Order: sequence, then structure tokens, then C-alpha cells
Amino acid sequence: MYNPFLKLRYLFYYIAGWLIVAVIHFLVLYISLNFEWSYALADSLIFNGLFMLLGISLWYSVKYIKIEDNPLLLVIIKNTVSGGLTALAAVGLGNFIFYHIIHPGSKILEFINNTFYWRLLIGCLYYEVVIVVIYLYIFYEKLALKVERESELNSLIKEAELKTLKYQLNPHFIFNSLNSISSLTITDPDKAREMIIKLSAFLRSTLSENEKQTNELGEELKNIKLYLDIEKIRFGDKFEIVEELSDECLKVKIPNMIFQPLFENAIKYGVYESLDKIYIKVKCLRENNYMKFTVENNFDEDVNIKKGKGIGLKNIKNRLSLIYNQDNLLAVEREKGLFTVSVYIPLDKR
Amino acid sequence: MQNKITAIIIDDEKLARDIIKKYIKAFKQIEILGECSNGFEGIKAINDMKPDLIFLDIQMPKITGFEMLELLDEKPIIIFTTAYDQYALKAFEYSAIDYLLKPFSEDRFREAVEKAAEKLSNKNKYVKEVSKLETHLDEKEEKLERVVVKTGTKIAIIPVDKINYFEAQDDYVMLYTDEGKFLKQKTMKYFEDHLEHSDFIRIHRSYIVRLTKIKQLELFEKESYKAVLTDGKSLPVSKSGYAKLKEIFN
Repeated sequence: MYNPFLKLRYLFYYIAGWLIVAVIHFLVLYISLNFEWSYALADSLIFNGLFMLLGISLWYSVKYIKIEDNPLLLVIIKNTVSGGLTALAAVGLGNFIFYHIIHPGSKILEFINNTFYWRLLIGCLYYEVVIVVIYLYIFYEKLALKVERESELNSLIKEAELKTLKYQLNPHFIFNSLNSISSLTITDPDKAREMIIKLSAFLRSTLSENEKQTNELGEELKNIKLYLDIEKIRFGDKFEIVEELSDECLKVKIPNMIFQPLFENAIKYGVYESLDKIYIKVKCLRENNYMKFTVENNFDEDVNIKKGKGIGLKNIKNRLSLIYNQDNLLAVEREKGLFTVSVYIPLDKR
Repeated sequence: MQNKITAIIIDDEKLARDIIKKYIKAFKQIEILGECSNGFEGIKAINDMKPDLIFLDIQMPKITGFEMLELLDEKPIIIFTTAYDQYALKAFEYSAIDYLLKPFSEDRFREAVEKAAEKLSNKNKYVKEVSKLETHLDEKEEKLERVVVKTGTKIAIIPVDKINYFEAQDDYVMLYTDEGKFLKQKTMKYFEDHLEHSDFIRIHRSYIVRLTKIKQLELFEKESYKAVLTDGKSLPVSKSGYAKLKEIFN
């Protein structure tokens, strides 16, 4: 830790403190004790000036006498000694200066002589105050450092958490798509090419190292559309997308890839598991200060869906709560063969 | 490879079935009897047409390829085709002759079909069934989440959560649920291994019971106990079963 007296701001407070003491000192001598103003001023400035200058050295002794390393009594004794010695040095030096600048036999010299021990005592008290303030300063600095480190750590953890919660590519989707492409190269090369292009575009945006945290819903939906198009080539008429989106919604910024798992779930638990046609309904509307985004799909109730154990949804929930500091942004409903997930994105209140 | 080989393709994706059909054209002796897009159709087609060989996907709607196999009385020769590599070990437990990872090449496909043909022609009874077994030994044992059974002509999917207890019956196991009982051709050992140990306990050679269904233990004879279930039924408890129960309830 740097000597705080080297910081201009603290040095200013220190000098200001001593100036107040000096003013009081002067007023007591000039008004109460009826000394000449020049003597009163000299006494006040010389002694308090010395106290102020030598007081700076206390920083080093305080830094040396650490509270954590010493019993409290020892801390008090050591500081009393260092404060006392410093005060002695200041008072002694003050006396020495006075004897050289004031005519012998002057009334003020006599006063200085008589008040030697008082001055020593007051100096000690001044210094104890300085010492306590220095300890408080050290304590405060350490605390501030700790708080800063903690918040740094927290943001690191948050970042790491977000990274693990980020969308992860499903390899089986890739392999199955490649298999479809392999098949199409024989039966329908044009369609195979179309699928390769779509899969590439999807992979590029998903794998990109672009660490953009948010994206407009419209942009995100373009990527989701690629994914759904690919699944559509695989599954044909087994599912259909029904969209109800307002233009206002499309402009809303959302955390990137956050909705992708909703569609993957609809495909995985709806289309993959059912013999009937699956309708995936996508709705988006404004509700007060939120954008409500809903994905709904029918599913086969006979199939005991437990496989994923909701990790995808849990990840979305955790990510939302990390980003928006709110725990209630995801609602899941499973009723009468309909699976509905709603995500609420807080809108800027501006 | 002179005899005609009949085959059925079972896969929920048309494009996946298409490529198998294309590849198969190179084999004059193989005749495709039909294609199915799910396990239910698969069972029906296999029972009706009795093919020599099936190409079987694993992840399909309603019931998986494995569950479909469990419901067959007579199993044809099986070649699995899937994008999931984690089922390889399990596939060979179902005595598959090969396991094709999608997408697969025509050469790899030919290899699998030739193996099947060789096995069928009986020239070599010792065709190696397991080729890539070693590489998948670290595969984790999957816990059972549902059991698929045949009840008459219908197929029932029973979530494990709904099963109260299992009872051994010769080569079969009877599953008891609140809705009734179902017979499954499996061993007690299989269920013991594939059930969540925190949920079920084998209290006797012939019984595996859901822990939460046990109401109390009653002394039956000297040193012999019975477990009384919440529905009032009581089941015998063996010595080792009693020791296990005591450990859990203490």
C-alpha cells in the first residue's frame, strides 16, 4: 500500500486538519491568555507545523505494527511509544527553534518552558488520533480492494457460467442431416446442394466465434429458420410451423441463440417421437414491459418423455436470470397434449 | 450367396430409407419386402412377412428399435443404422450382425450385407458378430425409463415410474402397476441391473419392489419376514433381502 500522504487528496485533508488545530491554538493564546498576536501565531505555527511534519512519519510505524500480527495490548503500547517519541521530538525541536528566534527572558519563552509537559501530552493525544485514522484508512483500503476483487471474480464466474450455458450443437442432428444429404446426392442432387448450403449457413452462425451477446429477434429467427428448413427436408410433412409475429417484436434484442433450444425440443419431443403431424406455433407479443415469446407444439402423450430431463430449459432459465437478474422469465406448461414454453424478455424502459 | 434374401427397412426418415434401397440395388439376391417408418409398423411387417434381414434405426417415434426387437417372437438378422454411436454395445447385446453409423459409405454397407449373407447361407456359423465392441466398452449402463410390452395385439408403453413391483415367472417377469399387470420376456437380473437402485430393491429371488411401496415388514415365521405393500399385498423377503432393507431403513 502506498503512503496515503503522497496522495494529494489525503495530504490536503491532513493539512486542513492541522490548520484547524493551529487556528484554535492561536485563538486560545491570543484571546484567552492575552499573548501578543505575533507570539501567539509563531507558537501555533511552529509547534503545529512540526507536529504535522513529523506526524507523517507515523505512517511507517503504523504499517509496521500490524493489528493482525500483534495482540491488541501490544499494538496500543507500541503505538503509544512511537506516538510519544514523535511528540517528544516535535516538542523538543519546537523549543529549540524558539530559543533561537525569541529574545531570552521573553514572556512567551517562560510560557513555553512551563507548558513543556502539557505540550508533550497534547502531542501524544494528537498523534494517537492520527494513528487511529491511519488504521481506519488501512482497513478501508483493504476492504475496498476486497470488494473490487470480489466483483471481479463475480463477473468472471458469470462469464464462465454464460459460456457453459451457451447453446451447444447437437451432433446427431449433424450426422442425420449428412445422411440425408448423402441420400439426396443420388436421388435429388439439387436438393442435396440446397441442404448443404443451409446446413453450412446454420453451422457458420452457430459455430462462429463472434461473441456478440445479443441479437435482434428477426436475425435469430433467420438462423432458426435454417435449422427448421433442414429438419423439414428430413421429415417432410411431419411438421408445420405457424408463425404469429409482430414487427415490433422482430426488432427486440435478445441474448443470442437463446430460443434455438425451444425449437430443438419441439422437434425432438414432438416430431421425433410422434406418428401424427406436429404443429409448432410461434407467437410473440408485447406484455407491459416484456416481450413474450411462445413456442407451442402438440406431442404424443403416450410417449414417456423423460429423456432430456429439461436440461435445455434449465439452461435457458439460468442464462436469463444471469443476464436480467430475474428468476421468473421462463414459463413451461404441459397440458392436454400441448407443450408450451414462454420466455419473457424485459424491454428497456426508455 | 445364391439364395434369395428378403429384407425390410425400418427408419423414420424417408431419405434414410432411400439410400439403403439405392445401395441394395447392387445386390441381386436381396429382395426388399417393404419399408416401415416406425416400430409398430416394423413389428407387423416382420411378423407378417418374416424377412431374413432387417435394417433398423434406433431412434424412432413411439418405440425405439431396441424396444421393437424385444416384442418380436422370432428375430431376423439385424443391421442397425443410426447416427448415435453410444448404442453400439447395446446393439450387440441384441445380437445385431452389424452397426452402421450414419452416414455410411457403400463399401461399409456392402461389408455389413455380406456378413449377413454369410451368416444366412450357414457356410460360416461363426461369423464374428462383434467388430467394434472394444471401442465402446466405456459406455455407461443406461437406466430404464420405460418398458414396452405386448398385450394381445396391442403394444403398451409402461413408464418405470408407474411400476410397483416385479415378479419372476419362469422365463418372464410380471410387472405390476396400478392399472394392471404386464408380462415381459426379460430376466430378473436384467431389471435389477437396469433399474435405479435408489428406487427399487430386490427383496427376494422372485421379487423386485419399489421402495416407497413397502409399508412395513412383518415377522412371518422364525427369522422369516414378509413385506407388506401399501396396497395390502404381502411378498416374501429373503435373508439377503432383509439385510438390504434393514440397511436402508436404518
